[in-house]
Amino acid sequence: MVLEVKKISKNFGGIQALTDVSFSIEQGEVIGLIGPNGAGKTTMFNMITAMFPPSSGEIVFMGKSLSGLKPHEITKLGICRTFQNIRLFSDLTVRENVMVGNHCRLTTGVWQSVFRTKYQKQEEKKVLEKADEILEIVGLLEHSQTTAKNLSYGQQRRLEIARALASEPKLLLLDEPAAGMNEKETNDLFDLIMKIKSLGITVLLIEHDMPLVMRICSRLVVLNFGERIAEGTPDSIQTNKEVIEAYLGVEEEEEELA
Amino acid sequence: MLSELINPYYLQIASFILLNIILGVSIYITLATGQLSLGHAGFMSIGAYTSAILTLNHNVPLVLGIVIAAVFTGLVGVIIGFPALRLHGVYLAIATLGFGEVIRVLFVNWENLTNGAIGIANIPHLGREILTLSKDIGFEPAALGLRNNQFISLAVFLLLLIITIAVIWFFIRQNNSRIGRAYASIKMDEQASEAMGINITYYKILAFGQGALLAGFAGALYAHMTAYISPSDFDYHRAVEILIFAIFGGSEVIWGPIFGAIFLSSLPEVLRSVSEYRFMIYGALIVFMMAFRPQGLIDMNVMNWLKRSKSKKKEGKHGTGSKENQ
Repeated sequence: MVLEVKKISKNFGGIQALTDVSFSIEQGEVIGLIGPNGAGKTTMFNMITAMFPPSSGEIVFMGKSLSGLKPHEITKLGICRTFQNIRLFSDLTVRENVMVGNHCRLTTGVWQSVFRTKYQKQEEKKVLEKADEILEIVGLLEHSQTTAKNLSYGQQRRLEIARALASEPKLLLLDEPAAGMNEKETNDLFDLIMKIKSLGITVLLIEHDMPLVMRICSRLVVLNFGERIAEGTPDSIQTNKEVIEAYLGVEEEEEELA
Repeated sequence: MLSELINPYYLQIASFILLNIILGVSIYITLATGQLSLGHAGFMSIGAYTSAILTLNHNVPLVLGIVIAAVFTGLVGVIIGFPALRLHGVYLAIATLGFGEVIRVLFVNWENLTNGAIGIANIPHLGREILTLSKDIGFEPAALGLRNNQFISLAVFLLLLIITIAVIWFFIRQNNSRIGRAYASIKMDEQASEAMGINITYYKILAFGQGALLAGFAGALYAHMTAYISPSDFDYHRAVEILIFAIFGGSEVIWGPIFGAIFLSSLPEVLRSVSEYRFMIYGALIVFMMAFRPQGLIDMNVMNWLKRSKSKKKEGKHGTGSKENQ
C-alpha cells in the first residue's frame, strides 16, 4: 500500500471541507478522485502534501505517518503534486523549472556552490541530464530554453507535470491536469499519464474530464460535500445511483451514460 | 608621474561608491527571495558599532574586528529572519523599518557604550593602518612617488575594489547554483517552491542572514573609512538610500543594484549644486520608477539584449574575419 488516508477531517472555521474521508492507494495504480466542484478534492491534496494540517485523522505514506511533516519533507519522502491553477516559476526557463523540481534530491550547500567543488560540478551535470531526460518524456525538450510564461497553456500544464516528476516521486498528485485542454492535448495527456504509470509511479488524479478519467483510472474515489460517497472501478461508479444523483444529477446525463 | 594621476578626493568618492555597491548587493540578496527589507541601515550600524567598539575599547585587530562585526550582524539577521518569515511585502518592510529605528534609538541611548548621539570618534582608520603596516615592513609610499595621504586613499580604494569584486563574484556563483535556483523560485511562488521540496524557512533565513552579514560588513568598513560614526549616519534616509539602489537599478539581476549604486552615488558629485536636494530627487525617482518601470532600469530583458548584442558583435567580427580569409 502506497498511501493510506485514515478518517481525515478538515474544517475551515464553520465550514466542514472534509468529513472522515478514508481511502487507500495501491502501488502502481492510477486512481481518480472525482466529485462536483467544492467537494473537497483539492483540500484532500492539500492535506496529503501538508499545505494545511488536517483537523483530525492521519495519512500514512509507505508505512510512515505524515502527521507534523512540512511540505518539503513530504516531497522528499516521495509525494509531489501539480496545481489546479498553474503555478510555474514563470520567469525561469523551462529547464530551470525542472531543475528546481529536482532540488530535494541534491545536497550541495552555499560553499560548495560558490567554490564549484568537483562534487558540485558532477551534481549540476547530473541535474541537467535529468532535466533534459524528463523534458524529453513530456515532449518539451525543444523548448528547454524558453521562459516558462511564454509557453502555451497546454505546454505549461505539461511543464508542471515535468517539474513534479523531477522530484522523483513515488506518488504523483495531479490536480485537474486536463482543465482547459482541447481534445488533442487531452489525448497527449492520456499518453503522458500512461508513460508515467509505466515508470512505476503511482498516480492520484483529480479530474473533471469524465471520458479521460474513465479511460485511465483503475479505481475511483468519489467525494461530495466533503464526504466519500463511493469507491470502486469506473464501471461500478458509472452505475452507482448515489454518484449519479449527487454528481451528475440531471436525468438527461443519466440517460447519456446508460 | 603616478602622484599626479592620483587625486585623494576622487579616490575617496570611488571608495564610497564601492561601499555602496556592497550595500546594493546586500539588499539584492534579501530581495532575491522576495523579502523587502528596510532594516539594512540598522544592520549596517550594528556592524559599524561592533567593529568600532571592539577595535577602540578592546584592542582587537582591525581585520578581526571587521570579520567579527560582519558575522555578528549576520547572526542578528538570522534572529530577525525568524519573525520576518511570517510577514510579506509591505508588512515586512514596515517591520524591518521599525527594527532599524529601534537599533538607532538603542545606540543613541546606550551612552556608556556608544557615546550616544555624539558618536564614536578616532576609530582606527583603514588606510592609516595599512600605511603603518607597510612602513613596519619597510615600505615607504615615497618609493612610488606618493604622498602619505595619496597612498592611504589608494590603498583603501584598491582594498575595497578587491572586496567588492570578491563579493560580486561570490553571489554570481551562488546565483548560478542550486541555492540561486531555490532563491529565484521562492521569490516567484513560495507555496509552489515548498511543494517542490524546497525548505523555504531555511532559504529565506539564509538570504536574510546573508544580506544582514553583508550590510554589517559594509557598516564595519564604513566605520574604518570615516573613523567617525554616529547614530544619525544610519537613520531612515540611509535605509531608503540603500533600497533605492535596488529600486532604480532593478533587483532582478545582481547588476541592477550595482548599477544603481554606481549611478546614484556618483550623481551628487557630478551635480554638486543640487546635491542638497538629493532626497527630494530620490523621492521623485521612487514615484517615477514605480509608475513607469517598477522592475528597475536593468532587468532580465536588458541583460538578454546585452548578451545578444555582444554575441552579434562577435559574429560580426567573425564574419569580416572569414571574408578576409576568402
